[in-house]
Amino acid sequence: MTPNLSVEVGRLRLRGPVLAASGTFGYGTEVPLLERRALAGMVSKGIFLKPRAGTAPPRIAETPAGMLNAIGLQGPGVDALIRDFAPQWAGWDFPVLVNINGESAAEYGELAARLDGVPGVAGFEINISCPNVDQGGMYFGNDPRAAAAVTEAVRSRTKLPVWVKLTPMVSDIGVIARAVEAAGADALSAVNTFVGMSMDLNAYQPRLSFRTGGLSGPAIRPLAVHLAHQAARAVDIPVVGVGGIMRAEDALEFLVAGCRAVQVGTATFVNPNAIADVHDGIAAFMAARGFESLDDLPRYLPRD
Amino acid sequence: MWVLGFAAPEIAASVKAGQFVNIGMRPGPLLRRPFSVYRATGDRIEVVLKAVGAGTAQILAMREGDVASCLGPLGRGFDLTRSARTVALISGGLGVAAMPIAARDARAAGLQVTWVHGARTADELCSETDGDDVILATDDGSAGFAGTAVAAAPDADLVLACGPNRMLAAVARRWPQAQVAVETYMGCGTGVCLGCAVPLTRGGYDRACTEGPVYVASDVDWQALPSHLSYAVSA
Repeated sequence: MTPNLSVEVGRLRLRGPVLAASGTFGYGTEVPLLERRALAGMVSKGIFLKPRAGTAPPRIAETPAGMLNAIGLQGPGVDALIRDFAPQWAGWDFPVLVNINGESAAEYGELAARLDGVPGVAGFEINISCPNVDQGGMYFGNDPRAAAAVTEAVRSRTKLPVWVKLTPMVSDIGVIARAVEAAGADALSAVNTFVGMSMDLNAYQPRLSFRTGGLSGPAIRPLAVHLAHQAARAVDIPVVGVGGIMRAEDALEFLVAGCRAVQVGTATFVNPNAIADVHDGIAAFMAARGFESLDDLPRYLPRD
Repeated sequence: MWVLGFAAPEIAASVKAGQFVNIGMRPGPLLRRPFSVYRATGDRIEVVLKAVGAGTAQILAMREGDVASCLGPLGRGFDLTRSARTVALISGGLGVAAMPIAARDARAAGLQVTWVHGARTADELCSETDGDDVILATDDGSAGFAGTAVAAAPDADLVLACGPNRMLAAVARRWPQAQVAVETYMGCGTGVCLGCAVPLTRGGYDRACTEGPVYVASDVDWQALPSHLSYAVSA
């Protein structure tokens, strides 16, 4: 019998546990190859109120079992998103959350207000964890008061589900997780990329023009499993695990560690069909172990 | 320089000059590696490579019968539909890879083809060139014209170029309307990661994998495009 893989993340009912992570799936219109039947949801590329050019090249560098990126949240701005992409999302059979970014709590709030009620927008993922912008981003994500202020600014402007994407660059992720939960977040995405650096030994300077970048890929997976687990122990709202998932077993590690769902990112760069492969692998694991639904999957989640 | 062939019937049947494939292997580096399609015959495609980093070294270690994942054909190739009588194909170093299919398609379009190929030394020249006229050039003068391929090239109605970005910048100065295939690092090859940013003279960036890799030379901001890629990937 086919296991039931549907999950509930806050008030959002998803047909499966595997979503596309922000910045790895564009606006959902770019990758032609993916079998979308398995896609439980998509988090859009991060958007600001205004268009952004992004950082100068080189923007990416491969590292052992991972990659550094400093794209700088290149994007067309919220008006173009509403005009060009949201109408397409409205016809899709999975929800799209918009990853929102700002240089102040007020800007995040204004973005939520602009997007609230736009057909095709099912919810928000607040990005307080981007390492590749000079203003905002990660700097909101490592201060519990700033993280809560951004969350409240968004919460007060929308009734849609609000997820908050956490940065790993903190000494205690539980503190940030509890702060944004108290500020009204419906779920947490844990975690964004780690700040890293790599040097060009011919030019004697960083390989990325932005100097530093966000490290993703299998290199960060054990770190991400740990942080997602720490976040899940700290809060009552669901945690969506993200970080280096390449295969179903990787996703299952996050689920067993206490996550309700997962996001797949860098794997899609390597294998455009990665999300379907991970989904199918989870289904096969469940069937082999005799689990009828993800509620049957044992979790390791001792409470703090 | 090595030529590697892959059985890839769908790609072989549809690839156009200037398009590329993104090759991935397990075990291998995390990211795929982009290669211009060098030739496409029957069910087979070929790519040209040098062992420039750990990834290409692993690709070169493949043996007959091994399997790799080939994603393609990707990108927007050369436009040969413009009205023209003559075409100059200008290739430098590994840029030779984009040219056999360009020569094939140009001939099919009834164009007179001059292929100018340059390298640093005679040893690094590719011997498999194809055209109504072939001009070779070496930086050290050890074979053919002593100087760059750009300096050796005649004027033509259409100019198509592929090679190091420094060479393409020289092409842009001489023929602003030339079509050039740029070189960038690449993440996904499918348009989602925005890693292969190409700076444009009109401002902003677009994606070598999707809007490119072929550009009208004057559309690229050559000052802002890295002129040299360091391939020392230790992955």
